[in-house]
Formats: sequence, C-alpha cells, structure tokens
Amino acid sequence: MDHTEFNDDVDGLYRGDYAGLPIVSLRPPGAPHPPAGEAAWRVSVHVYNAKETFEEHFARFVETIDTTEVRALIVGGWVEAYEKDSSGPIRLLAESAARLPALRSLFFAAMPQEECEISWIQQSDVTPLLESFPLLERLEVRGGTGLELRPVRHEHLKVLRFEAGGLPASVVRGVGMSDLPALEHLEAWLGTSEYGGETTAADLENILSGERLPALKHLGLQNSEIQDEVAGLVAAAPVVARLESLSQSMGVLTDEGAEALLSGQSLTHLKRLDLHHHYLTDAMVERVTTAFSGSGVQLDLSDQKEPDGEWRYVAVAE
Amino acid sequence: MTTIAVVGTPGDRRVTMFADACARQGLDEPAVVPWTSVLRGEEIGIEPGALVRIDSPGEDAEADALLRGPGEPSRIGGGARWHAGFVAGAARVGRAVAATPGAVLLADVEDVSVMFDKRHCHARLSAAGVPVPPALAGPVGGYAELRERMGEARWGRVFVKPAHGSSASGIIALHASGRRVRAVTSAELASGELHNSLRIRCYEHEPDLATIVDLLAADGLHVERWFPKASLGGRAIDLRVVVVDGTPTHAVVRAARGPMTNLHLGGVRGDLDAVRTGLGPQGWERALEVCARAAARFPGSLAVGVDLMIGVDWREFAVAEVNAFGDLLPRLEGLPGGGAEGLDTYGAQVRAILARHAPVRDRHVPVRDRYAPVTERPASTRERHVPVRDQRVSAGDRHPLAKERHASVGDRTPRREGGSSGA
Repeated sequence: MDHTEFNDDVDGLYRGDYAGLPIVSLRPPGAPHPPAGEAAWRVSVHVYNAKETFEEHFARFVETIDTTEVRALIVGGWVEAYEKDSSGPIRLLAESAARLPALRSLFFAAMPQEECEISWIQQSDVTPLLESFPLLERLEVRGGTGLELRPVRHEHLKVLRFEAGGLPASVVRGVGMSDLPALEHLEAWLGTSEYGGETTAADLENILSGERLPALKHLGLQNSEIQDEVAGLVAAAPVVARLESLSQSMGVLTDEGAEALLSGQSLTHLKRLDLHHHYLTDAMVERVTTAFSGSGVQLDLSDQKEPDGEWRYVAVAE
Repeated sequence: MTTIAVVGTPGDRRVTMFADACARQGLDEPAVVPWTSVLRGEEIGIEPGALVRIDSPGEDAEADALLRGPGEPSRIGGGARWHAGFVAGAARVGRAVAATPGAVLLADVEDVSVMFDKRHCHARLSAAGVPVPPALAGPVGGYAELRERMGEARWGRVFVKPAHGSSASGIIALHASGRRVRAVTSAELASGELHNSLRIRCYEHEPDLATIVDLLAADGLHVERWFPKASLGGRAIDLRVVVVDGTPTHAVVRAARGPMTNLHLGGVRGDLDAVRTGLGPQGWERALEVCARAAARFPGSLAVGVDLMIGVDWREFAVAEVNAFGDLLPRLEGLPGGGAEGLDTYGAQVRAILARHAPVRDRHVPVRDRYAPVTERPASTRERHVPVRDQRVSAGDRHPLAKERHASVGDRTPRREGGSSGA
C-alpha cells in the first residue's frame, strides 16, 4: 500500500481520485454518468442554504446509480453540519448497506474548511458504519467533535483514518479495544485539548502494544499538541518493530520528542518516517538527518516551524 | 506628443512602475500630482492636453492622515471619513482637468466612489446580474443586530466587511451558532482599539467579537453570505483578475490555509495552470467572462481588479470585490491569449491609453525589453484575440467604449447604472 496517498490537506475531495477511482458527483437528471463501479461517488449537499437535504440527495443517488456496483463513496456535507450531528447520514448509510454490497472505501464528512471547519463538524457514533459494512476496507472520518467509536471486530478493514482537530480519548480507546486483524494503516489526528483532544498515554496503550492490530504496517499518531510525549511512547512501543511506516507529523514535535525517537528503539527498519510540520531546531534536524542517512529510511522533515512567541501550533486544529 | 500626469504618491511603486511602462512605450515620464497636495486643497496644476490618471495614494502616511485624520496608521476605522475625503479629492482633480484645455481624465470619480463602498459596489454588480454572494440589505448597526439579521436570513456563516476597507482590513470571516462563535480576522483588538495585523487571529470569545463588530460598525458594514471557495492542495483560492479596457488581461491565483487569501496575510500565489485545468476550458472562459462583466459596470475606469471566487465545487463563481486600484501586481505578465502577453498591468494600461487617446503620429515603436510587446497590434485586430468578449458577453455588457476607441473617458458624463449605483 502506498501510504503517501494520504495527506493533511483537509480537502473536500471534489476532484481528482479517491481510492484509485475518479471522483464523480451526482449530475443533474438526464446527464450521463460513468459506470457505477468505475467512480468514487461524492454524495453531498451544501452545508449552508442547501437546495435539498442529504436524505433527498441520497435517495436521488440510489435511484440514479446502480449502487450494487459502487465501490467507493465520499460523503461530503449535510445540511447545517455545524449544528446537526452526523447521526442522520450515518443511519441512512447503515440502513442502505444491502444496496451497497460492493462498497469497500468510505470517506465520511469530507468537508473542507471553507465548508465547515473541522472542529465545527458535529460528528456522532460512527461504529454503525463498521458494523453495517463488514466488507469495508477503508474508512476515513473527518471531525472529532461528538465523535464516538465503540470497540468492534472487523475482519476486512485495512485503512482507518481519523482527521480531527481534537480526537476524543474515548475514540482512541475504542480503536485500541477493537479487533482489527486486517488493519494495515491507522492514522489518528489527536489534536488539541481546546478542541476535545485529551488523549493520554493510557489511552494509547492498546494501540501501541499492537496486540489487536496484527497486520499493521503504518501508524500515524499525529497533529498532537503533546507530540513529544507521544513520540516518547512510540519510541518504546512494541508495535513499531512491525511497522514499515511511522508518522509523528503535524504536531508540536520539538527537540525533546526527536531526542526520544533517536534514543529509543531502532527505527532504521522503517521505509518511511514522516515528521513534517515540526518545531525542531536546525541542529536537531541535522542530527535526525544524520542518524537516518544511509539507512534507507525515507525521512520527511519538511515544514519546519518557528514558535510564534510562546505559541506552537498543530497543523490542523480549528 | 502625448503627455500623461498621475495623481499619486511621488516615489511610490505604483507611480514608478507606471512611469517605467510609459518609458517602455516611448512616452515621457508622467508628471506626478501628489495626493497630499490635492488633499490639502492646493492648486492642481495640469498641463493642457494632459491625460490624467488617478492612482491610489498607496501607503503614504501623510495622505492617510489627511484622509482619516491623525493617528496610528495601522488603526482600523475612519473608513467613512477616508471615503468622503478621497472622493472629494478625486472630484477636485476632475474639475481641474475639466478646466484645462484638452486635458482628459482617465478615470471616473463616481466609479471610484462606488468601488470604495462595498455596499454600493455589491448593489451595482447585483443589479446587473453579475454573480455576487447575497448580502444583508440596509445598514447593520452592531453585533446584536448582525446576529439578529443573520438569524432571520438563516445564515450561519458570513463575511463581515467594513464598507470602505481595503486589503482585507477589518474583514471578519464569521461562523456563528448560538453563543458558539468563530471569527477569523486580521483585526487585532487591544485596549479597546482595533489595529490591522499581519497575523490572522481567531476569536472564539463572543464578547470580544461583539466589541470588534461594534467598533467596525461605526463606519458602516457590508455583510455577505459565506461563499465556500474551491481549494488546491489544502489551500482555499481566489483569483485577482485585472481587466484593462474591457479585456481580462492579467490574473493571479491567491491561495491560503484560511479564509483570507491576501498575500500580506500569509496567502501565497497559487498555480494558475492548475486552476485553469480545474475549471476546464469552458469554465475558465466563464470565469473571465464574469470578470469582464463586473468590470463593464465601471465603464469610466481604464483598469479594475476583480476578485473572483470559485465555488467549492468548481462550478459556481462569485465576485467578491472590484478594486479601483487592483493593478499592483509587479512583474506579472499578461495571460496567454489575453492580448497583453509580455506586458505587465501598467504596460497594458499605457497601451490602452495610447490606443484611445494618442494621435497616430505620436505612436512610437516600443523599445523591446522583457515587458514590451513584440508587436503593437492595431486596436481593430486586437479584439480577435479576446474570445471571451467576442463570443460570450452580450452586447449590453460590452465595455461602452470598446467600439469608440477615440472617445475619451473624460468627455463622458458619469453614468448611473440603472438604479444600481445605490448611492
């Protein structure tokens, strides 16, 4: 799997590809559509001043497209997503599972900042998406406010990503307590306490042990205001030895966290170490670069940040 | 010999770059009438036969003090006074030109007045069917009224703009739901005063926001519904398109992680080719058409800068603003196929001025350099290179001077758009 296809753009996924398929939105009545299995379908209504509700739009989607062939779905916005939580769209998807037997990839709440700031997206319990789609291989969710995840067992999920300005600690625990035997790529944007991201070492324990994540190849615990502490935990985490790729990017990583990564367990088995958006000093950038030179590890130290007075920011919060 | 004079700030980049463009096209260096002397009421000396350009006073602190009154230049406020003073100054220039034999004003005082009042500008564009985000009608007196009116309109997210601001000064990107608010702005509230800052701030404490809005409201507010913009590589984008003599000649993409794309606020120049690709050929043509139509509402203005927003779905367009002095884009060359290839925004204007006003014997073969045109096309053939105007813009939207290249702007009575000038 190419882990580089995931990024921190917080894009609306209106154009381009998703899950290897060209993104297509529902066109006006009568307009031709590509075959259902050859597109990533973007199902979305305007967050503001919508002309139709998400339910109406989804009904039109189901009537127009042969949903039994649909492999990839992007749910964008729903009406007043900053006020009304996601339980309606989630229920609708879960109830429509029988009509979407081929669905393998789902991005839920792909609203760019221009449509709804990430911390304003009102999420809810996303567990039904995993329960109703047992063959799902890829689930990506944007927004941490109100987000819930109950422990589940899911045999086929390969990619699980949570993009958030603040990811509730209960969700982090929920992931850790889930049995995800096929999971290869796990990404959690922990965020800041200001936006509800209050994950502690104890919450991360199960993920870092890797016991319930036997297939894991990429772990991204990122966008954290306590990135140094997270790096310290990762440096000693059993799961890391099995990884091909590790991300500690987007957060407030300082020399302290980098020191922990350098002095912890060996990381030279990795193919990729992503530390972009960091607060390392030039001297530490050089030390890290030297430490991995010749190791074959693809190191990303781009986007070096300067503190703004006393302030250091994660990449995505608001 | 064609003589040009510029009302501006001596030594300011706008003045020197325009003078450079004149030199490249074989014209004498324009005389500069300082804004400060216009604003002090000193006599305005115009040479007979001069073509008179009005430019921005730029960031001249003295002119600013004359317009807004004394005070810290970074402060926000005094917009209404600025506007009245500026329009009065421009009108004085207009009268001086009218009283000078053969002199021609290359601007329209009423156009300038409307462009520097976002409420009037919006009304003029809206009445002409140019796509703009809907706006709250009538005055908005303060924060409480703002929220009340947003509630009535069921608008959860808006742009609050000082009626007379420029360069994003005092603009607030506001998201509100009950007591939960999020306001992104370059305005900095300190000890009860507002200042422009180079850093974007986010206010989530409602009493602070209320103070800011109440302070801004004293000079008039224009409130538009939020228009979610398209993004590229995680950055929201908009376009600044310079329209010279009716033709969109120059465009830049401005991109930012937040809602303010202005370059001085951390915005970056985006990839124009990527935007053109994103829009597709027809979409790009429509984008330029919208800009041309917006500019056509200011027929007395030689060049305007249109800020065009592209919708998040890459289909809709909306004009955010039309800037009277939106041509300060150093070293930017004209769009391919836009008729001003190889010219910067000033070069394109000088050429348009010559095409309209210079006797044929005065035209010089331009000196070839990086920004000089390789060949000077006669006006009649230039039109062919502008498919947007030829094919897409209805006759009624044409620049009224486009077919009257020898008419002078200054000869025209300032036009009122059918009930839309809103003055």
